[in-house]
Amino acid sequence: MASSSRVEILNEGGFRSDGRKQFELRDMVIDLSQQGTADGSALVSHGLTQVIVSVFGPREAKMRSQTIYDRANINVELSIASFSTGERRKRSRGDKRILEMAATIKSTFEPVVQTTLYPRSQIDIFVQVLQQDGGLLQACINATTLALASAGIPLYDFVCAVTGGVHSTSPMLDLTTLEESDIPHVTVATMPGSGKVTLATMETRLHVDRFEEIFRLACEAGQILHKEMRAAVRSRTGVLISAMQSAAPRQGIKKMIR
Amino acid sequence: MSSISKAERSMAALFHEFRSIALETGVAPLANGSARLHIGRNDDGSGGTEILSAVKLEVQTVEEGGVDDGRIVCSVSCSPTAYPNLSTGALDDLQHDLTTVLHQTLSHSSLHPSNLAILAGKKSWLLNLDVVILADAGNIYDAVFMAARAALWDTKVPRTRSVQYKARKSGKASADMDVDEEATSGFDTRQVSTAADFELQDYWDEGEVLEGRDRWPVCLTLNLESSIQFLDANLQEEASSPLRILMLYSFGTSPPALQAMRTLNQGDLTLAHIKTLISSAEKYASELFKALNAKLVEEDLRRNQKARERFSGRLGF
Repeated sequence: MASSSRVEILNEGGFRSDGRKQFELRDMVIDLSQQGTADGSALVSHGLTQVIVSVFGPREAKMRSQTIYDRANINVELSIASFSTGERRKRSRGDKRILEMAATIKSTFEPVVQTTLYPRSQIDIFVQVLQQDGGLLQACINATTLALASAGIPLYDFVCAVTGGVHSTSPMLDLTTLEESDIPHVTVATMPGSGKVTLATMETRLHVDRFEEIFRLACEAGQILHKEMRAAVRSRTGVLISAMQSAAPRQGIKKMIR
Repeated sequence: MSSISKAERSMAALFHEFRSIALETGVAPLANGSARLHIGRNDDGSGGTEILSAVKLEVQTVEEGGVDDGRIVCSVSCSPTAYPNLSTGALDDLQHDLTTVLHQTLSHSSLHPSNLAILAGKKSWLLNLDVVILADAGNIYDAVFMAARAALWDTKVPRTRSVQYKARKSGKASADMDVDEEATSGFDTRQVSTAADFELQDYWDEGEVLEGRDRWPVCLTLNLESSIQFLDANLQEEASSPLRILMLYSFGTSPPALQAMRTLNQGDLTLAHIKTLISSAEKYASELFKALNAKLVEEDLRRNQKARERFSGRLGF
């Protein structure tokens, strides 16, 4: 009998197909340097999934009909590069899947951004997906948080997202494409300070007994990502402050980072 | 707007100088060839024109009577980040314009590479060139064509081998029947390939280089303002030039071939003026071509060097 060439999701030694352990998260690379003329931008990679988000705003709305009298309007536009996946697929901007993901990101950030401070204005979030290897929504949300922070838009808290899945009875975190296509998985976005959850989305079938465990694990993983994201924002702020200090050495600039 | 005097040109740049250009190939590991280009980026990474381009090869089945040499399809996509003040409709229009110019120039038969066929008459490669504009600070056409050229230079076509399945001859022939077998004549000199399928060869590299590297054109945008012509305009300079002219030169042959020409903005030209413009544009384009080639060769060396070092490091040399 020919041996199976199927890749094992989790082998006996506890290692996954890319060599990680069960609860190990992929390498996260964060780059907050300015891009073009955006007010804030963030390039985030979770392993091989790479996403760049640019934030413009708060600024005057392009269409007056979309303004809200007492808050800012958040507009999310997502575009996925045709070469981001293994197989080339040209996705138009009006593709339903893309619109759904953009609407998900918008509803995730509606309660987080302090929109009441900027009535009748617009905050534009432009997400560009460069490479995909699983955890796309997770990467988009993490990058959006960092881009909003980098743009100086007041937020109630960070939003940290992570995917979690269950392979028979073993839970796993931060799934790649191979794992996502094989096991049921859920994407959870939490606000680490208060522990509140702003997004929990799942499109596969998962037994309710398994759900509690994986949900709890994903919330804990959010705390870990929060540490990484705070460190990145802190170092970026340090760079900006030293630039400001070298330009105006006599003015005292207090470091106010919690 | 008043004419732009030499003193007013920002950054003390001469009329015929480009802003600094940064190029990197091999940025999209899932693509067959890719490149990222920056023109005029500041030290902290802000500003400037930024383009990302990638080539992906797909196998396509050739229809009856179709060309079996492969096809090239180009498309340009403008990220809303690059044009934050344009509505979605205006963005789509701009995308369509850029796609048309890029596709019509690059898919021309004179530039067609010869190694895009797989199985004669049956299968060939479809080359998809996707260009994404991430930031626009002027001189977008030059940048798009440079990035396209870099991605095409970087493209590796996977090696294939035709495979033919021969049905096993049936078992013992019946002793009673006389079976006439068709003998192949020794005089049959036709080389008709009956291969119906192909397989990818497992090679240490990603394939052979796309043929016709030298032919891919470089674009030069001449901004004309009264009697002055200047290159590499930023957004304000572009908006204030009454006439801009794009010229695309291919340096694969000598003399260089003018692949395409297009005028932008509302000015007009006399035929004599066009002739002088063509000769001066050719000069600048050839300098750009040489500089771009030098950089692409250097990029190739850098990546191969890195790969070799990693390989030898692993083996402990």
